[in-house]
Amino acid sequence: MGRADRISGIFWLCFAVLMIIQSYHLGLGTLHKPGAGFLFFWVNIVLGIMSLVVLFRAWAGKKGEGPQPAIFGRQNVSKIVFVMISLFLYVLLMEPVGFIPVTFLFFIYLLGIIEKKKWYYTVFVSIVVTVISYLIFETWLQSQLPKGLLQFLRF
Amino acid sequence: MDIFQSVLYGFQVALQPLNLIYCFFGVMIGTLVGVLPGLGPAAAIALLLPTTFKATPVSGVIMLAGIYYGAMYGGSTTSILVNIPGEAASVVTCIDGHQMALRGRAGPALGISAFGSFIAGTLAVIALTLVGPLLAGIALRFGPPEFCALMIVGIMVLTFLSSGSMLKALMMAAVGLTLGGAGMDSISGKYRFTFNIQALLDGVGLVPVVMGLFGIAEVIENLETEIKREILTTKVKNLLPNLKDWAASIWPIIRGSILGFFLGIIPGGGAIVASFASYAIEKKVSKHPEEFGKGAIAGVAGPEAANNAAAGASFIPLLTLGIPSNAIMAIFLGALMIHGLQPGPLLMTRAPDIFWGTIVSMYIGNGMLLVLNLPLIPLWVMVLRVPYYLLYPLILLFCMIGAYSIGNNAADVIIMLIFGIVGYLMRKFRYDAPPLVLALVLGGELESSLRQSLMLSRGDFSIFVTRPITLGFLIVAVLLLVVPIITQRKKLSTLEDSP
Repeated sequence: MGRADRISGIFWLCFAVLMIIQSYHLGLGTLHKPGAGFLFFWVNIVLGIMSLVVLFRAWAGKKGEGPQPAIFGRQNVSKIVFVMISLFLYVLLMEPVGFIPVTFLFFIYLLGIIEKKKWYYTVFVSIVVTVISYLIFETWLQSQLPKGLLQFLRF
Repeated sequence: MDIFQSVLYGFQVALQPLNLIYCFFGVMIGTLVGVLPGLGPAAAIALLLPTTFKATPVSGVIMLAGIYYGAMYGGSTTSILVNIPGEAASVVTCIDGHQMALRGRAGPALGISAFGSFIAGTLAVIALTLVGPLLAGIALRFGPPEFCALMIVGIMVLTFLSSGSMLKALMMAAVGLTLGGAGMDSISGKYRFTFNIQALLDGVGLVPVVMGLFGIAEVIENLETEIKREILTTKVKNLLPNLKDWAASIWPIIRGSILGFFLGIIPGGGAIVASFASYAIEKKVSKHPEEFGKGAIAGVAGPEAANNAAAGASFIPLLTLGIPSNAIMAIFLGALMIHGLQPGPLLMTRAPDIFWGTIVSMYIGNGMLLVLNLPLIPLWVMVLRVPYYLLYPLILLFCMIGAYSIGNNAADVIIMLIFGIVGYLMRKFRYDAPPLVLALVLGGELESSLRQSLMLSRGDFSIFVTRPITLGFLIVAVLLLVVPIITQRKKLSTLEDSP
């Protein structure tokens, strides 16, 4: 875990430093009356020290190591990225476009494009999932899902 | 109220038709979640939390509890039939359970794990009934320093038992504490760590974080390494174990129940550790240790009993002290708070319907699980055949709807997605998520008890060493930190690698 620890160690060190500065500006107060930043200042100093230990261990173990295995498997990274993009698009479009059309398109995209299933299967499953999830969450559990473009239907 | 009257009152609450229905739904969904790999009880409780908003607090809590112990039952089914643990506490069941299935004894394996779970679950609930009021009585005498020290012990135990590096687990606890500080400071009224982002003004919500770390991250990880599942095609028959099976299983079940109960009660312990410890013990005391790994029924009965007893016992620190003992209880704490309840020693007197109603519903739920699960096994096997390309879009959709309906707010969904990516990276870089979640939940309470203690003592830290209970807790915390450094720590989790 040499290289992975070097990367993560640097990340958490930066995180700790940022939080130490933020907490300091919030005010540490006195011991009699600890301020808003008191606990977080000290917690992040400890976090910073621990990230340094992770970093030093990683560097100390660097010598004599063979070639490092890749942190991420290559084959499916693109799939993960495409799925994550669709999730972020789902959130952004959910309120303006509405739950029903976005959920339908989300399933068409995942099953038809990412998983490359047959189109009639994809359309059938997408319709069934959209209708059933709407009935469960909106009609039964009254979750108030966004209606978006279908506002005019008032169902 | 004495205990007898209290339990009677609990039955009155739990037997109300509506509560029975919620209990039924809880255990059914729990079993389903346990069966499905890629969705653990932590994510499931977080996911379904918004569905309880319309219910009364009692019904909601009863259902969420049902999901938790129901998942412990369901997890064993996949371990035995497919050799894939539905959730972490059933990892051990794979070893001998699947071997039994390969030898045509899937029926008795499923049967004994259901009976073992039932016996252990019931014993744990009885113990919870007896120990709960006692502990709550002691906790009533706690002041801010005691609570502060107790929470530190809780976090320390969880990092001590974490599956990876303890150093990294401690780092995650520190990150969790810091995240818990985001939003408005309740004492000074200042906004902290919001970076002028609107969504952070109310703080980082527990539910989106948990759904991200345990739900979304799990899906991403599974997308990377496609799950291949081979389902046993033979018919499952003879679910009822015979007399010889019972003779071999009864003591492992009893030992597993006792062990599980005590490990479950310790903050940071819990079902996973209990099941591994029970397996190790059964192998050691067995007259035929060579049979372990080749389909020994004791290797199924013991761990299954232990993980159910631990699941029941882990409610004790939460309901009596307000301290969650593991990540799932941390979400449970969040759920109680959303329903306007403050778990702790006062819960029993302020909301006896919640306390006793929930406990008694566990007796009923355990009974339901036993009756339901054996005949429904063919249905669960069918669920297992649902292909992953259909399952993961559904899990993602449920997470999205769940996170949105917490506050009808897209910001919560974005927080969940970000923590999904963070959670995936944490898995890749070998950082444990449970300490982060526990510290995030306890953060607010820990900070205010620390600040109150220092105000009480006028800034004198000796308040933490002059009070005997506080000193005791802190000594335990320090030992947990120092012992692994001095001795070569032999972790229970290394058992995970040995079979």
